Amino acid sequence: MDRVHRIDCAGRTVREINIEIRSELARGSSVAVANSGARHNLGVALLTSGRVTFDGSVGYYGAGMSDGATIVIHGSAGWGVAEGMLSGSVSVEGNAGNGAAASIRGGTVVVKGDCGARAGISMKGGLLLIGGDAGYMASFMMQKGVVVILGNAGDALADSMYEGVVYVGGEIASLGNDAVVSDASPDDMNTLSGLIRQHGLKQPRRLRKVVSGRKLWNFDHAELETWRAAL
Amino acid sequence: MNENRPLRQSPIYTPDVIEEIQEKAALGRYRIRGFGTLRSKPLPSLDDLTFLPATLTRIPLEGYREKCETKTVLGTRVAGQPLELDIPIMITGMSFGALSLNAKIALAKGAAAAGTSTTSGDGGMLPEERQYSKKMVVEVLPSRYGANVHHMRQADAIELTIGQGAKPGTGGLLLGSKISSEIAAIRDLPPGVDQRSPARHPDFLGPDDMIIKIEELREATDWKVPIFVKMGATRVFDDVKLAAKCGADVVVVDGMEGGTAASPEILQDHTGIPTLAAIPEARRALEDLGLYGKVQLIAAGGIRSGVDVAKAMALGADACYIGTAALIALNCNRPLFVDDYARLGTRPGACHHCHTGRCPVGITTQDPQLMARLPVDEAAQRVSNFLIAMALEVQMIARSCGKSNVHDLDPDDLRALTMEAAAITRIPLVGTNWVPGQP
Ligand SMILES: Cc1cc2nc3c(=O)[nH]c(=O)nc-3n(C[C@H](O)[C@H](O)[C@H](O)COP(=O)(O)O)c2cc1C
Ligand code: SF4
Repeated sequence: MDRVHRIDCAGRTVREINIEIRSELARGSSVAVANSGARHNLGVALLTSGRVTFDGSVGYYGAGMSDGATIVIHGSAGWGVAEGMLSGSVSVEGNAGNGAAASIRGGTVVVKGDCGARAGISMKGGLLLIGGDAGYMASFMMQKGVVVILGNAGDALADSMYEGVVYVGGEIASLGNDAVVSDASPDDMNTLSGLIRQHGLKQPRRLRKVVSGRKLWNFDHAELETWRAAL
Repeated sequence: MNENRPLRQSPIYTPDVIEEIQEKAALGRYRIRGFGTLRSKPLPSLDDLTFLPATLTRIPLEGYREKCETKTVLGTRVAGQPLELDIPIMITGMSFGALSLNAKIALAKGAAAAGTSTTSGDGGMLPEERQYSKKMVVEVLPSRYGANVHHMRQADAIELTIGQGAKPGTGGLLLGSKISSEIAAIRDLPPGVDQRSPARHPDFLGPDDMIIKIEELREATDWKVPIFVKMGATRVFDDVKLAAKCGADVVVVDGMEGGTAASPEILQDHTGIPTLAAIPEARRALEDLGLYGKVQLIAAGGIRSGVDVAKAMALGADACYIGTAALIALNCNRPLFVDDYARLGTRPGACHHCHTGRCPVGITTQDPQLMARLPVDEAAQRVSNFLIAMALEVQMIARSCGKSNVHDLDPDDLRALTMEAAAITRIPLVGTNWVPGQP
């Protein structure tokens, strides 16, 4: 049976809380953290598997740089939630601030509410699933991975993305540089609807798919000779 | 017409300027290149300073014998384990991608042999470089290419990079010819793209956020290792104050002479301030906060010799980073494979073609055949020889100034050779007690 270790944040430093979370995960316990009080840097660098829940909101970089843990935030998250994650999952029941899932390289981040600006910025892998809206510049310079926005997307969506795919269920305020939009294929819809169901989110009527136009991938090839001569 | 009359040439539209305009007209784009500034108009530099060794007012130490400490400790403010080095000269961050694997390993081995540190770069840490480094600084850059918390936890220091001297305020560049499938995989990019990295971090913008970011890095590394903040030298006084207030243990200021593997030329030549100006400003910033000596200062950008290091230290730096000079020690611009320099349209001594990926001596390339021209162990030996020679030069200067510890060098050991340098550094002009702007 899963042992649940309880930590009350009241009166304790973030350092103490994080040390205790890590040592309990290492012992194979699940951890339930109460009174998280929107403190910054809670649950940073959790590098073992195991389940951690925060019964409340977390501040900046909540669950940042984790690798393998299953983390649930029963509240909202500040900037950079799950930033730099390698594997595992982070689920936010409320909303997330700017830069949600910034530069993650793997794993799954689910934000059931809305995200601020730059959600999925510089993503290098993994999945970001947003139940609500995403602010401006979502998926800016995204490199790999998948972002699903079930609500509306703000301005400059997927600006300068290299690779990866963004799906949007609602309206797109505007596309960013070199972002190209099309309708999601029936296959995409099938795969995604399973995923959306799995997280208990509302199925959108349709999804549009945004990918890189690849025009910014390279300086113009035709000029390479001139280019070399000019250096 | 008198055929002997000398041809007159515009001082404004020089042949260089004409060539540049016509190239832009052909390309429709700015020039990108490696190495560092090639400005024809010289910058105020550390060469504009001279030392005042001991004579009768002070007593020198025996130059080749008496003990003169070079040990350097960085990050004494907060970190549980400050970075301890045998010498005050460190290898700066240069990415695997910009540099070949052999170059990276040679720098790691060479630095380790000389008792100093090496730094990762804008492409993540290589397991090999960690293996061969005694002390390793791991950079956290805006691009976060190859960023990995496990690597951070193996670091002896973390360097949060805001910018670099060759191109402050802009992100890195790596042209497609150098994005091999291996580099692409590490950076999570499509092979062959002309990579243009972001200028801003993805998860913080200003200093208020950076305070929390630094704390996150400390949490991830258990508050053990120092956190450096590296910046290109621009508004140094304010920027250094902000970095120190945000909790940096060590601030790195990289002057406009700083090297690069690829940057737009105009940024290298026309942005930022020289290292000579950056160090005194940084020192004043830390003094203003009462943190001078508590927060350490690393100077970078155009450091070529032990004399440069000694001058930087006398001005206020605790240590220096070297980049380009270390590459030159590896063999950069050495007259080997001269035909290959010619194929790039250059020659040894004038090469600045790192961006092409066709480095004739195997340093800034991802081509296995070119890389094989840099045998690791010989190259590592040259790097360690060079570092040791530089440290000996610093000691020589310190002893002549009567200092038994290189860290005791101070501004009073220096005089300015030009009015400009006196005004910039607030060090008196030679032969006077005069500092421009002061009574
Ligand atoms: C080949 C090369 C690659 C570089 N790559 C990086 C990098 O990845 N990250 C970084 O912060 N700075 C990078 N730099 C800048 C150096 O870290 C450093 O700021 C600069 O080289 C110092 O000036 P110097 O070359 O005159 O010693 C690079 C410089 C060179 C020459
Ligand atoms: S020799 Fe190699 S490292 Fe040196 S400037 Fe030329 S290309 Fe760059």
